[in-house]
Amino acid sequence: MKYIEGEELVTEVKIALRELNISPLPELTERLSFAWQEEDEPAREMLFQILENHRIAGFTGLPLCQDTGMVTAHVEIGNDIKIIGPPLPFLIDRAVRETYHENFFRGSIISDPLFGQHTGDNTPGMYTYEFTEGDIFRITLLVKGGGCDNLSALAMLEPGSGFDKVEEFVLSVVKEKGARACPPLILGIGLGGSGATVLSLASRALNRELGRVHPDSQYAALERRLCAKINRSGIGPQGVGGKTTCLEVRIENGPCHIATFPVAMVASCHLFRRSELSW
Amino acid sequence: MVITRPSYRNVATPLTREVILHLRAGEWISLSGEMYLARDATMFSIIEELERTGEAPFVLQGAVIFHAGPAPPLPGKTVGAVGPTTSARVDRFLEPLLERGVAATVGKGDRTLEGRKLHVRYGSLYLVACGGAAAYLTNFVAEMEVLAYPNLGPQALRRIIVESFPLLVGYDTVGGNIFQRKNPELRKYM
Repeated sequence: MKYIEGEELVTEVKIALRELNISPLPELTERLSFAWQEEDEPAREMLFQILENHRIAGFTGLPLCQDTGMVTAHVEIGNDIKIIGPPLPFLIDRAVRETYHENFFRGSIISDPLFGQHTGDNTPGMYTYEFTEGDIFRITLLVKGGGCDNLSALAMLEPGSGFDKVEEFVLSVVKEKGARACPPLILGIGLGGSGATVLSLASRALNRELGRVHPDSQYAALERRLCAKINRSGIGPQGVGGKTTCLEVRIENGPCHIATFPVAMVASCHLFRRSELSW
Repeated sequence: MVITRPSYRNVATPLTREVILHLRAGEWISLSGEMYLARDATMFSIIEELERTGEAPFVLQGAVIFHAGPAPPLPGKTVGAVGPTTSARVDRFLEPLLERGVAATVGKGDRTLEGRKLHVRYGSLYLVACGGAAAYLTNFVAEMEVLAYPNLGPQALRRIIVESFPLLVGYDTVGGNIFQRKNPELRKYM
């Protein structure tokens, strides 16, 4: 049995949440710098401003984006793990509340879409749990603004459809609303599962670290193919036209019913604010 | 590596009719002066107040409305991190504001077809700020104050004073549209 101190967990999550809101991932800066070299105006100037933002956010103490997002955490927890202290969601919520308060990050959460008020402290976060074997304990944090979450979509395709039908669906959503979601985007695509769980597959794909391709080479090839097609749409950085609409497409696949072919997509904006903690 | 940047045209508020008519989609401007921050819930409150009292909490004629909800300011500062939110979401509130003379709206992303038509019909500009670049953009904001609806938190109506704030002309008054300049295949979605 491995014991995790709740207090220590809160401290680690707080450090990670501050960092991901203020410091861009180095690989992300690298990828966007490359895109900047490739683009013409005005997309080039948009990327210039995005890169300047990467450069200065750290020492201004200001967040990369005023929308410090909704905090999502995917927790992988082995059967040999015991957390000492309050239940896990309480601990992560405490870390969110304290981080957002201490760093003057914006609280963007309302308690209910119809009748709710601002909660003020950006809680609750949205957490998912995956039970696994041994003493694995890993938390993947992903902070997303509202703009790119509005690109989320679900389709139930005809069973037996090919990947071209998946592409048709994804491209139609990206062409209709992609410019509003702060491209260049990173897309998570779920294939299979059920109508409800396919969105979890898509989220799991989006949770992967930058540059991590599908382990199956057939799927890795489809990821590249769809990314290239999205980039040919010409939407470009911030939607102002250009070559870089999508930095990565990731796919996660799973079993499904013979009568269904669920497909879901979720997206992150160009600020891929992710952090992975393990104990 | 040589960093080349486009040239920016200096523009100050209040935006004159002449300036508005001359700016073209795709042109960068460096805006100095006054903007009002209003996003989803703010727009809802402004429209509700307009319907109830016939007046808005600020002079709409010639105003520049920036769709944004800032972060709280750091200690000792008055300006919180600020950047654009998706403008298409507030298109449903647009007409009563544009018909009362709002000179320009500022945000990010393409608008709905209706939103674009309204800008052309009322001769208003849509200016695009870079999304997800708040630490950079906040450099150009000198002052920020809450004018109304403080209970809305980040969505309260605010007035800001900017100096050389970088903006791209998205829609001009003659139908120019940066979002379909290079991508004709997107037209059917716009």
